[in-house]
Amino acid sequence: MVERELKWTPFLSLLRREIIRFMKVFGQTVATPLINATLYLLIFGVSLGKNIQLDMGVSYLSFLIPGLITMTVLNNSFQNSSSSILSSKFHGDIHDLKVVPLTTNQIIWAFSIASLLRGVFVGVVTFAVSEVFFIATQDLFLSVVHPFWFLLFLTLGGLSFGFIGISVGFWARSFDQLSAIGGFILLPLIYLGGVFYSISDLHPFWQIISKMNPLLYFVNGVRYSLLGQSDISFSHALWVSLLGTFILYFFAYRSILKGSFQKW
Amino acid sequence: MKNPFKVHNLRKSYGKVDALKGITLSMNEGEVLGLLGPNGAGKTTLISILTTVEKPTSGEASLFGHNVLENSHELKSWIGIVPQELLNHGFFSILEVLEFHSGYYGLSKNKDHILFLLDRLGLLPHKDKKVRELSGGMKRRFLIAKALVHKPKLLLLDEPTAGVDIELRTTLWKFVEELNKNGMSILLTTHYLEEAENLCDRVAIIHNGELKKLGPTRELIQDMTHRNVDISFSEKPQNLNNHKYLISEVENTMTFQIPSKMQLGQLVSELKFDLSKVTDIKIREGRLEDAFMTLLGGK
Repeated sequence: MVERELKWTPFLSLLRREIIRFMKVFGQTVATPLINATLYLLIFGVSLGKNIQLDMGVSYLSFLIPGLITMTVLNNSFQNSSSSILSSKFHGDIHDLKVVPLTTNQIIWAFSIASLLRGVFVGVVTFAVSEVFFIATQDLFLSVVHPFWFLLFLTLGGLSFGFIGISVGFWARSFDQLSAIGGFILLPLIYLGGVFYSISDLHPFWQIISKMNPLLYFVNGVRYSLLGQSDISFSHALWVSLLGTFILYFFAYRSILKGSFQKW
Repeated sequence: MKNPFKVHNLRKSYGKVDALKGITLSMNEGEVLGLLGPNGAGKTTLISILTTVEKPTSGEASLFGHNVLENSHELKSWIGIVPQELLNHGFFSILEVLEFHSGYYGLSKNKDHILFLLDRLGLLPHKDKKVRELSGGMKRRFLIAKALVHKPKLLLLDEPTAGVDIELRTTLWKFVEELNKNGMSILLTTHYLEEAENLCDRVAIIHNGELKKLGPTRELIQDMTHRNVDISFSEKPQNLNNHKYLISEVENTMTFQIPSKMQLGQLVSELKFDLSKVTDIKIREGRLEDAFMTLLGGK
């Protein structure tokens, strides 16, 4: 009689596979975001940022850093789960997930936790690079004001974008559809989510529009945790982020039940 | 003894298309059952229901006595599937893929069995290669290793030798026979009827979503085919020209087609020819392919 452990082993195996997958493309996972973050810090944080004054009384570089970390975490989390699922569709092994005894929840959590780990790993690297810039320009060490909330918001953001990646991955029928969703929906939401500017500088109408962007709350949650101040109140950021994570989990669940497991 | 699988009045419709029209069929424990039929007959749909990938529109399907709609999570551990289509696995080596796959079935410490399978299927020297680096035949063997990694009780082989050369096909047949001898029940779908004839204890022929015939392979061949007997004479007897079993004659060789169950002695005594004038006798038995063609009306 074969002894099987179906509660944790299937989940841990898929999680392990997903982690090994992104570690195998370490250059793509870490080097590219590292270069991106360095360029953003150099151009916006140091060069242009010298001339930008903010109402909240912090330097533009310190304002930019939490936004940049959040953007990196969200982007990488999304890319990890979506590209893993789409490449599995391309290779044809996506169908394995249908025939092995993995539950829908095990699939969701394995993909999203791996996405979160990649997102946070790259986020930490971005933070380290930012710290170098901060020390070099301001002769100060940027410390995290609320470490617990900092980790919580990054976790919620990473999981949420892991869920979005799962949803898009299972619904998408081609790489074009993935690019379209990433380029036309997610990227504008991230860039207009208060990463590079404070919404208090916007016209009241655009402030209202901006507040409809759920990403604003993740970005400002991280900013509050890191700097102790942000555009959005802490409680608003927390509840919207929690609600967003829950809704996106539901979408991921539906996508696995109703999405496509067909080889392309 | 529980049937590895059993379906009763199983129906599956995709919109207006009925892929399965009320099939009733069961498999005996420890047998190799051939599931035959032309493309679009409903074979893959039946396999998809048994593997819990598809839900039936109506009717019942069970695995080892358990309804596939209940506790499908655990039932999946009892079956192994070799798909028709060759797959890739991106960045991973075949050893890694097998370790992950084993884990999906709840087996975390299974390396000895994985290495045994790789060795048995001639893939051990290639264990660190990626799937895309393997030849077509190796990919097929890898799929079999993947299906066996969790020691299933029922193996579903969906055209496992499609596009495989004769040597490898023979090797795979031997391996399937070995698995079967060790007690594994095997459901085989194939378009190579010679394969089904050699391997299967019973065959089920389905067409247009209906079960057309089910029975032991030998019996089915006997029931639905003829034997062709070529008798060559030194001097052709004239009394046989209009015999009911005579189907052709070329020079001094006369070909008689008799029912598969009829014995040669019976034919000889019926034909009443002088045995001393017979120079050669050749018998061509009916094949599963002939039975298949008869059943499906030449399709």
